[in-house]
Amino acid sequence: MTVAVFEWLTAGNNLRFILEGFLINLQIAIVAMVLALAAGLALALLRLSRNRVVSIATGIWVDVFRNLPLLLLILFLFLWIPQSARETWEDLMPSWMPESWHSGLMLAGLSGLVLYNSAVLAEIMRAGILSLPRGQREAAQALGLNYQQSMRHVILPQGLRRMVPATVSQLITLNKDTTLVSIIAIVEVMRRARTVTATSGNPFTGGGVEAPILEVFLFVGLLFIIVNYALSRLSRLLEVRETERTGSAPKVEVRGLEEQVA
Amino acid sequence: MPFAFVDTLTENFDAFVEGFFTTVQIVVVSFVIAMVVGTLVAAFRVAPNKALQRVGGVYVEFFRNIPLLVLLFITFPGLRRAGVEISAYVAGVVSLGLYTAAYVAESLRSGVFSVPKGQIEASLSLGFSYPETLRRIVLPQAFRTVISPLGSLIIAMIKNSAIIGGSILALDDLLKTGRVIASRTFDVVPAFVWAASGYLILTGLATLAIRRLETRYAVRR
Repeated sequence: MTVAVFEWLTAGNNLRFILEGFLINLQIAIVAMVLALAAGLALALLRLSRNRVVSIATGIWVDVFRNLPLLLLILFLFLWIPQSARETWEDLMPSWMPESWHSGLMLAGLSGLVLYNSAVLAEIMRAGILSLPRGQREAAQALGLNYQQSMRHVILPQGLRRMVPATVSQLITLNKDTTLVSIIAIVEVMRRARTVTATSGNPFTGGGVEAPILEVFLFVGLLFIIVNYALSRLSRLLEVRETERTGSAPKVEVRGLEEQVA
Repeated sequence: MPFAFVDTLTENFDAFVEGFFTTVQIVVVSFVIAMVVGTLVAAFRVAPNKALQRVGGVYVEFFRNIPLLVLLFITFPGLRRAGVEISAYVAGVVSLGLYTAAYVAESLRSGVFSVPKGQIEASLSLGFSYPETLRRIVLPQAFRTVISPLGSLIIAMIKNSAIIGGSILALDDLLKTGRVIASRTFDVVPAFVWAASGYLILTGLATLAIRRLETRYAVRR
C-alpha cells in the first residue's frame, strides 16, 4: 500500500457515491425543517394561548420533547411505529422521490427529527414573540384589532423576524442530527461511507484502493463542516442586517443555548 | 395493564440504575475534558496574537460543525483501524468532550468580552503578565457570567451522551439499557419510557442546580 492519502476518493465511483449520500442528508434536513417550523409555530401559539389548560399541556409537551435525547426518540419510533404505517408510507411516497425516501424506516427517522425540532423551534419562536415590547400588543388592541388580527398583522411578523438567526443555528444542528437516522439503517452518507470502507479495496466493486475508515469519515465530516460553516456565516449576516435595520440587536432570550448544540 | 409498566422497571431495576450512572459518569468525565480544553481554546481565541486566534477559530469551527456521530466514527473505528489502541469508553468521552469544548470556548469568549477592557489594562499596568491577567482577573469573572450558557451545555451533553450508547461504541448507558430491555422483553413502550424518565430526571436536576448557582453567583452585565 502506498502512503498516498485520500487516494480512494478518486478510485471507482467512491466520491460520487458519498456525495450522493450527503445529498440525502440535506434533503432530510430540509424536509424536517419545513415540517418542524410549521409544527413549532403551532406549538408556540398553543403555549401562548390564554387558555391555561392548553398552555400548560403544551408547555409540558414541549419541555419533555426538547429535553429528551433525539436518538432515544428515533430509536423508540423505529421500534414502535407499526409495520402497517410503514407500508402506508411506502405506498404513498411518490415515485419521483429519491430512493431512500421510499423506505418505511424514513417515517420513524423523520418523525423523530420533527418531534424534537418542533419542540426546540417552538421555544425559539415563543421567545421571539415574548421579546416584543408589551406596547405592540396594546397598540394593536387600542387600534381595535382582535387577538387573531393582532397576532397575524402585528406580533408574528415582528416576532418571527427576530428568531431568524436562532432558526438558522437550529438548522445547523438539524443538519448534523440527520446522521443519527443511519442508526436505524436508513441509507444516507454514514451508511454509504461505511460501504466505501468495506468495498473500496476490492478491484471489482471498488477501485482496488483501500479506503481507511479514518480518512473516509474525516471527508464526511468535512462535507458537514463546509455546509454548516456557510450556514453560520449566513446567520451572522442576517443578524447584522437585522441590527442595521432596527438599530438594535434582536435580543432573543432563548432559555439555554443547548438548542444550538446537537 | 398498568402493572406491566411498573414490572418493567422493578424487574430490570439494577440494569436501569447501572445505565443511569454510566450516563452520569460519561457526562461528568466529558464535561471535565470540555472545560479544560474549552478554556484553553478560549484563551487562544482571545490571545493578543493573530496566529493563536486563528488556531482557536479553526478548532471551534471544526468541532462545532461536525456531527458528533462522525466524530465517533473517526475516533473509534477510524483510529483503531489506523493502529491506535483506543477503547470505546475513551473514544466516547474524548469525542463528546472535544465536541462540547468548542461550545464552551465560544461561551467563555463571550464571557471574556463582557469583562470591561479597563480591568485588563489595569491588571497589565500593575505588572501582571498576560497569562496571569487571564487567570487571575478575567477568567474568574468570565466564568461567573457564563454559568447559564455552561449549564445549557451540560443539558446538551446529557442528551448527546445518548449518541455514544446508541452508536457502534455501544457503551451500556441509559439509552442502550432501555434498548436492550425493549428488544429482550418486547415491552417497547415501558422500556423507553423508563429510560426517557432517567434522562428527564438528569436534565431536570441539572436545570435546578444551574438555577441555584445562577441566583448565587451569576453576574449580569
